[in-house]
Amino acid sequence: MSEPLLTGGLALLLLGTALSFLYRSKNCRTVSLGLTFLSSGLLSAFAAGMLYGGREVLIESYSFLSPLEFSFFIDRLSAGFVLLISLVTLGVSLYSIKYVEDEKSEGRKSLHVALMNLFIFSMLLVVLSANGFSFLFFWELMSISSLFLVIYEYEKPESGKAALFYFIMTSLSTVFLFSAFIGLYTRTGSFDFRGFGLLSPEALSWTFLSLFFGFAIKAGAVPFHKWLPYAHPASPSNISALMSGVMLKVAIYGLLRFLLAVEPELWWGVLVLAFGSFSALLGVVYALKENDIKRMLAYSSIENVGLILIGIGLYLIFRVSGLAGLAGLSLAAAGFHCLNHALFKSLLFMAAGSVVHETGTRNLEDLGGLVKHMPQTALLFLIGSVSIAALPPMNGFVSELMLFQAFFSSSALAGAEAPFLKVLLVLSLSAFALTSALAATLFVKVFGITFLAKPRTEGAERAREVPKLMLLGQAIPAALCILTGLFSARLFTLFGLPVGFGSGAEAEVPDMLFVGGILMVTYLLVWLSVRNFGPSSGPRVCKETWGCGGLAQHPSMEYSPAGFSEPLVVIFKKIYRTQLSSSRSFADSQDCVFEHGTAEIRLIKFFEEYLYLPVAQAVDRVSMKVAGLQNGRLDTYVLYVFLAVIALMGFTRWFA
Amino acid sequence: MITPGFTDPLFLEGAVRILFVFVLVTAALVISVRNLASLLTTYTVQSLLLTLIAGLLYLIEGSPVLLAISVLTLVSKVLLIPFFINRVEAKIKISRDMKFNYLEPTSSLLVSIGLVLLVYVFLSGFVGELALGRLFFFGAVIGLSLTLMGMLVMFSRRKVITKVLGYLTMENGVLLFGIFVTELPFIIEVLIVIDLIIIVLLTTIFAVGMDSTIEEYRQKLQRLHIWPGREYL
Repeated sequence: MSEPLLTGGLALLLLGTALSFLYRSKNCRTVSLGLTFLSSGLLSAFAAGMLYGGREVLIESYSFLSPLEFSFFIDRLSAGFVLLISLVTLGVSLYSIKYVEDEKSEGRKSLHVALMNLFIFSMLLVVLSANGFSFLFFWELMSISSLFLVIYEYEKPESGKAALFYFIMTSLSTVFLFSAFIGLYTRTGSFDFRGFGLLSPEALSWTFLSLFFGFAIKAGAVPFHKWLPYAHPASPSNISALMSGVMLKVAIYGLLRFLLAVEPELWWGVLVLAFGSFSALLGVVYALKENDIKRMLAYSSIENVGLILIGIGLYLIFRVSGLAGLAGLSLAAAGFHCLNHALFKSLLFMAAGSVVHETGTRNLEDLGGLVKHMPQTALLFLIGSVSIAALPPMNGFVSELMLFQAFFSSSALAGAEAPFLKVLLVLSLSAFALTSALAATLFVKVFGITFLAKPRTEGAERAREVPKLMLLGQAIPAALCILTGLFSARLFTLFGLPVGFGSGAEAEVPDMLFVGGILMVTYLLVWLSVRNFGPSSGPRVCKETWGCGGLAQHPSMEYSPAGFSEPLVVIFKKIYRTQLSSSRSFADSQDCVFEHGTAEIRLIKFFEEYLYLPVAQAVDRVSMKVAGLQNGRLDTYVLYVFLAVIALMGFTRWFA
Repeated sequence: MITPGFTDPLFLEGAVRILFVFVLVTAALVISVRNLASLLTTYTVQSLLLTLIAGLLYLIEGSPVLLAISVLTLVSKVLLIPFFINRVEAKIKISRDMKFNYLEPTSSLLVSIGLVLLVYVFLSGFVGELALGRLFFFGAVIGLSLTLMGMLVMFSRRKVITKVLGYLTMENGVLLFGIFVTELPFIIEVLIVIDLIIIVLLTTIFAVGMDSTIEEYRQKLQRLHIWPGREYL
């Protein structure tokens, strides 16, 4: 390899992995994570340089059988994702130095660090792969290393369930990818991604479907999303940050890598857009109902993957319709949202991890008042929330604005399908707009319930601020959220992405630095006027809030998370599908004297109960039948051999 | 008086054809006979028939390998192996194998007829490629059928000793097929015979511990914790 920064970065990561695999001491873990940090720095510099310079590098590295070879390719797309991965790991590695030390056993702590490094390494190489073989190899390495991290707290029963869900879904995803790559090989004679361009239109459609389902499962698009809300709460928070922030994007990368290499068809765009809209809306609707802070963030990841897919769908539709400018805008929006979501979701997961670490609970009902005990974490969480809620001038606002711009410009669509497409885009736009609004509500709820008011439990009362290093780890993505927001227009110009800024193109993205300046000045003026001319000029009096005549305020009087989302739950009752059940027992035989009763409102897990479990049960039944063939008796096996020989004879005689 | 010319190829070929019929008869007996002593006799006769076929073929073709095979078969399969199995049968004190799996003898015989027909149809598809004479084609059909019938014996009968005889029958089929079609190198034939003898020897050794069906033998092993195999339904 002739790229010293890349080679150095990857070598440091491998060194870090080996170090914590081999030696189980705190110093080794710290050094190992330090190496991760260093390697992330090198790789960020490398990727930024590649993105800026627009060079392309092909690295034929190792071939051990003729079609099975490792080869790597770096262009702007892969450089962009390398940048994304390394920026997130920059923060996560610092955060993890203190975070991993929470565990009891030395061996497990070291294993945690080693697997995390391996996980990062495999994700990087997936993104760099130039052919299907190396892609699948590192894809599986990525899945397996993250699987071990999901099952990290294996004593807990929910970890087992989460790991099972994750394992099955990720294997299913690999099956789809496998069939696509095998198809590529049989048709072009090579696993090389450049072969995608040579496929016939029909073969291309099958490859697209196969790859899309494979990547949609891994990215967690509805209805393949179910593993996400299980896997994220089960894994340690730094790993959730990586999985949600980065691994989902690796799947998006795979999809983009394919789509950019081929000539797409219109229905692909419609399909991707539909999946994206559903994922976005359902993701945020489910998140609103959730009271587990990490599971809530997982649902929010589903929503954001939906937004990214909407961007990709728009890109495909505009590209097929010949609107290159709009296609570029949508693609840039999708790509930028990938980066943004990686930044703020890893920040939020890390901050949530700090909260869980300090309070010992993930349940929002048991939190509250943390802003007094953990002010810095609260500030960082607020930055993440503001970004994900897409408020200006943060980065989330920019990418969502770009998507809105693309939607609004869809009137430029022309041609036979245009009426249909316009209706579709309006529907999708309304789902998208609703999603944005609900996402803002969601994070008002999470931040308010977690950090404001009074502590609801003793655990929340006892919480203290986390160590400086953990805060620093979160500060990196937080700062990047602000900076990429403020300088978004400049970044796009700097990296020369095909979006016209202020140059008479159909859609423009405003200069956030300017918007940010205006906002700053406005806030300053409001603050000054309130200070100088407000009612507080008299003596300040501190009294307890009016408590409806009660003597003391109690945390149970606070706005609860369930109460906050209740109006929305009522509106979306059809989606949540609750089930009411009650039972009563009586003391006498005439059912007159009431003795005991229970009533329960249960949320039906729609996808799990109507999609996943029936499929699992069907598979189970078939497996039982097949297992019956395996009866452990010699005679039966000889019979099978006999029948196989007969069948083979018949086959060769009449069919071969 | 006209004395028949024993070296007349036509006569020899006719004799081989007659022997084929006898081979099929012995195969049918291996499938259906319940008495172990008769079963062993049947096998011995079958091997003797093979010896004769190889010998007659030597007279027709004149290839010394065929003579060698004939002698080898005589020594190993007519004398040595039956001798060992006889010892086993004496030791295990059972004389009859009454139990059958999957197929009863009557249906087994019907299936065997079907097998011969199937093999005939199967091989007739390859007559052009193999370039065989009519006798040789016949021999190939009988050989392959005998192999499959041996396999049928292996899964349809319960006693281990019968299974071993089924395996030996299979090998006889392979030998027959080899003589008529592929011309196995002699060394391979020798190796196969050595394998067979070792199998029979092992059977002799196991007979000490294994005196009935394979299920009971496995239960014995399970009791001794030698084999943790699990019984499925």
